Amino acid sequence: MAGKRKKSDGEEGGGGEDEPVIKKEKTKKEILPSMIKNKDKRSEIHAKLQHQKKLDKRKRAKARDAAIKRALELGEEPPAPKIPRTIENTREFDETVCMPDDEELFAGNDADEFSSIMNRERTPKILITTCRFNSTRGPAFISELLSVIPNAHYYKRGTYDLKKIVEYANNKEFTSIIVVHTNRREPDALLVMTLPNGPTAHFKLSNLVLRKDIKNHGNPTSHEPELILHGFTTRLGHRVGRLFQSLFPQDPDFHGRRVVTFHNQRDFIFFRHHRYVFETKETKQTDSKGTKTKDAKDKVSQEKIKARLQECGPKFTLKLISLQNGTFDTKGGEYEWVHKPEMDTSRRRFFL
Amino acid sequence: MPRTTTLECPGCPPLRALTFDVLGLIKVIEARSKEGGAAKVVERWGEPDSSKCVLAASMVDRKKDPLLAVARKNGTIDFLNPLNGHLRFAISNVSDTANRPEDDPISGLHLFASKKLDSEYGCCTLLACTMKGKAIMRSYDNTLSPDLISSGSTRTWDVCSSGNILCSKVDGSENYVLFGGKGVEMNVWDLSECAKIWTAKSPPKNSLGIFTPTWFTSATFLSKDDHRKFVAGTNSHQVRLYDISAQRRPVMSFDFKETPIKAVAEDLDGHTIYVGNGSGDLSAFDMRTGKLLGSFLGKCSGSIKSIARLPEHPVVASCGLDSYLRLWDVKTRQLLSAVFLKQHLVRVVFDSNFTSEDAVGSTRDPSVEEAETVNEYENGDEQDTQPVKRKKSSKEKKANKKSKKKSNSNETSADDEGTKKIKKFKSKKRLKREIPDDSS
Repeated sequence: MAGKRKKSDGEEGGGGEDEPVIKKEKTKKEILPSMIKNKDKRSEIHAKLQHQKKLDKRKRAKARDAAIKRALELGEEPPAPKIPRTIENTREFDETVCMPDDEELFAGNDADEFSSIMNRERTPKILITTCRFNSTRGPAFISELLSVIPNAHYYKRGTYDLKKIVEYANNKEFTSIIVVHTNRREPDALLVMTLPNGPTAHFKLSNLVLRKDIKNHGNPTSHEPELILHGFTTRLGHRVGRLFQSLFPQDPDFHGRRVVTFHNQRDFIFFRHHRYVFETKETKQTDSKGTKTKDAKDKVSQEKIKARLQECGPKFTLKLISLQNGTFDTKGGEYEWVHKPEMDTSRRRFFL
Repeated sequence: MPRTTTLECPGCPPLRALTFDVLGLIKVIEARSKEGGAAKVVERWGEPDSSKCVLAASMVDRKKDPLLAVARKNGTIDFLNPLNGHLRFAISNVSDTANRPEDDPISGLHLFASKKLDSEYGCCTLLACTMKGKAIMRSYDNTLSPDLISSGSTRTWDVCSSGNILCSKVDGSENYVLFGGKGVEMNVWDLSECAKIWTAKSPPKNSLGIFTPTWFTSATFLSKDDHRKFVAGTNSHQVRLYDISAQRRPVMSFDFKETPIKAVAEDLDGHTIYVGNGSGDLSAFDMRTGKLLGSFLGKCSGSIKSIARLPEHPVVASCGLDSYLRLWDVKTRQLLSAVFLKQHLVRVVFDSNFTSEDAVGSTRDPSVEEAETVNEYENGDEQDTQPVKRKKSSKEKKANKKSKKKSNSNETSADDEGTKKIKKFKSKKRLKREIPDDSS
């Protein structure tokens, strides 16, 4: 933008439209409305520019539609729709993204703290507790968590120190501890610790919606749920994904048709819990609203398998604040990943 | 246009560093100035195996016969040639006790550059310290046969009766060693007599009457020539300067952020230190005044486990749990290069005898040998680039200026069974001398 700050002597004040127009043809971006000091004139020129842009856009959209229509009439392929630019599309290149042929990754997986649960040597057994303060929605949230995660047990916090709780849990052979932290009487953060000395992840919890507040919610059964982890691409994300995987049993019961999803997008992890059912739908050619009429094949009706979902259980959003290498230890802790403001160099950089 | 602020990393001067990680892998990172100076992984030694997790490493980088000792979690100490990663010999249990090595892991290791304990030429002397406080000093002779376990004298002593030793360092003259840890105050021992010459005293209770327990997590001597001053970092994010000749309490101490000080390293000028803590902050302090000289900002998000200073160039390397090795410029505190190494890193050491091609002409004597060795280097370089499937390997292919030559027979993998990459640096980089041919 610095290059566009060129001197514009003639455009100030009530100069005629000729000069700016001529100059615009010569060099494209020489005049900016912000260079004009007169507010009336400036706003006038800005409005003109915006109007011009809108007209251009409409023209382009019309041309595109005309091209598609023409191609369909002629029976050709219509021009491919343009891909909109999204932040996920333009994500900054991250060299820590896991590649499928990375043997060190697999070796690291075999050696990490979750491997014993993944190998089914230990079955997950979760201890859920809270922080020391009361909260309004906390107990309801915890009871829903108990129904979502199989083999989870709730213990009241009392005034125990977290380190003592870790020791107690180790003695009783728990595999993970979840601490629901409360702020201003609302569950606010989630601390997930893998035992015996596994990593501790500290998440910020937001947008919690309980089951009773979801319209048309379903009631979950007690089958082992299926787990979907989506969008964990980098090494850090992979580790967090394995952390979630270690909370759930490794043999899902597909007959139960119950699925728990952790979907990571832009470093926010969305938790959803659904019951699903597969249905085959016969879609006739004339009914298809969404499909293009170019599918003018010989079939009269097509069978499509669709999955219908019914949401049950809580839904909330998590964001990783820090990942510590041992069990929870604020004073002596070594952090594997901690968010620092100097890391936010661009809007297109994500860590998970 | 997407709004991004990219950090341009200027290249670093030619250097070679070795990093050790929790899967027992040793990775060699090099930066050559002709390739834009970006550092990249050139070799990887070892197989990923978590029982071989590296706990401590020490290198003697002499011009002749350099040696690298690596202490692993399963109790073995491997002696390797740092040029090509060949295993010279391995000791399975250095402390020779009935304890299983996993109960009493090694927490400090040092290979002596000078000769100790009346050992013959060709031996190496090793000082190892376990967490429970046993210190063992042994010399190993490897000229007789590659599998020889030990020879010469051994000295064992107990450093502390209770508590864990977490940090140990040998000073520049290799006569004194200091130990410290959890519940163990810093103490300095004289190696020639194996006697403790000095113990620290903890600072008095603070104004609230709270006494913080002793827990030292890292320590280093302040300069190579003076064994009397050293700097220790504690678990309660305090950095303390001790002076043996002055008093037992710390001479100066200050706080640094909020997580334990995991690594300290001294600079060559004898009064600057680099401090790295548990949340990835690296800063330089001037120990004469205790002032912060500046912080190294560069998106380091994991705890820093080890800091090393390159002697020739003003470059500092830091590695840690975020799996990155970062190279910084000392004066401007700018990030020169960052290498992603995929595993939690435990230690980094520099190989200070690395000279790249550009500097070859000035340090060699006869030009004939120089041309030959330069050719060999190029050759080796080319051979190396094919099997390397690193993410940055596209840049290395640029270096294949010369056409492919037939490799000399003594260079190929006839005796390289263990290592993956074909690389013989030995005759290229060093000044001429004999290298005992490794037969591992």
